[in-house]
Amino acid sequence: MSSIYGEYEPRLTYIMGLLTTELESYDRLCFEETGEHIYEHMSARIKSDESMREKCRRKGLPENAHSALCVLQDAIGVRVVCAFRDDIYGILDHIRNLSFVDIVEEIDYIRHAKANGYRSYHLVLAAKGRFEDPEGNNPGKFFIEVQLRTIAMDSWASLEHKMKYKRDIRNQELIEVELKRCADELAACDVSMQTIRNLIRESSPS
Amino acid sequence: MRVLLAEDEKALSRAVATVLEVKGGYDVDAVYDGEAAVESARQHAYDVCVFDIMMPKMDGITALEILRREGNTTPVLMLTAKAELDDRVRGLDAGADDYLPKPFQMAELLARLRSLTRRAGTYTPKSLQAGNVTLDVEQQELRSETSIRLAKKEARLMEFLMANPDKDLTVDDILGHVWADEEADETVVWVYISYLKNKLEAIAADMTVRGDKEGPFRLVPVSL
Repeated sequence: MSSIYGEYEPRLTYIMGLLTTELESYDRLCFEETGEHIYEHMSARIKSDESMREKCRRKGLPENAHSALCVLQDAIGVRVVCAFRDDIYGILDHIRNLSFVDIVEEIDYIRHAKANGYRSYHLVLAAKGRFEDPEGNNPGKFFIEVQLRTIAMDSWASLEHKMKYKRDIRNQELIEVELKRCADELAACDVSMQTIRNLIRESSPS
Repeated sequence: MRVLLAEDEKALSRAVATVLEVKGGYDVDAVYDGEAAVESARQHAYDVCVFDIMMPKMDGITALEILRREGNTTPVLMLTAKAELDDRVRGLDAGADDYLPKPFQMAELLARLRSLTRRAGTYTPKSLQAGNVTLDVEQQELRSETSIRLAKKEARLMEFLMANPDKDLTVDDILGHVWADEEADETVVWVYISYLKNKLEAIAADMTVRGDKEGPFRLVPVSL
């Protein structure tokens, strides 16, 4: 069975590269100019054939490139992990001003954490590529899902993710309450560290 | 509520215990000397203690000193001899919260015990509110559109601000309340106020803390 993405797969890699290369370059520029990075690490991936097919099935969509690339929007995923909360909003601003992508949707799960404690800034971008998309448009429109997080938010999300895959955990409810408490404590540390960074900057000359 | 009664005069002890149980609704543990008082207080968690001073084996003041040194913070009412000022001063300095000279009226003993246990109970509110922000004192959780946790001193400072919504609190006021028995540099107040300001913002609160580095500080609505 060939990939659900078919002939579009190389184009997805290209589109993904546009964003990651841009952010890497921007990070290098910031580091040269200020001595500070804008993110700690970034990871990017195209959703696996298996995962995408499973998602199409779950959503009652036909398993084809159109569903994967025009209906669903997370074939391309980029996750940017920052050291400080403010860095997230700095990158957000930078993305907003990029000419080759438009922000189609954004959800601030940092200001309004999910009930389970999940925090992250989610963006769906629409990028243009000089080739056809599954709807026949040229330039074609391709979606990129971006998650912006702090290191703390990212480690919490990894742990919580592991929870989801184990169905038979005892004391499920208690663990969920405790995970939420951890999420809130980690968020508190993020804010405190941001505060400390601000105080240091305010009290340093120039 | 549970009371530890340390009184060596058995008849008096029985009479007091009965009234405490019947009129006060307390569970009473009666001991008859200072050593037994220390042992019992170490083993069980009491809501309040009543200690006589003159007791065999170990007097009430020594027993209290030992317990306080070990970190026991249960409220203690001392039964003192009427004429002895010294008793009262030594007892209070040893860590007693109140005293009652003998002979005493039971009504007064009951009222004083109610007063001692009241402070531990109702004066510390479980949660405080200001604008759209709620502080859960027990959990040290600050909640508005999202929730976040506070460290112990942050929670104490937030509690202090919320309990005094109409007062300008100075750096000294805050040091005296939050860093009560510690050596603390004045700048720590500004650091913690900064933490709270940013945490309030992080949860999209409609309140913030007004005041610059030197204070004074007050919790106020966010001006748009």
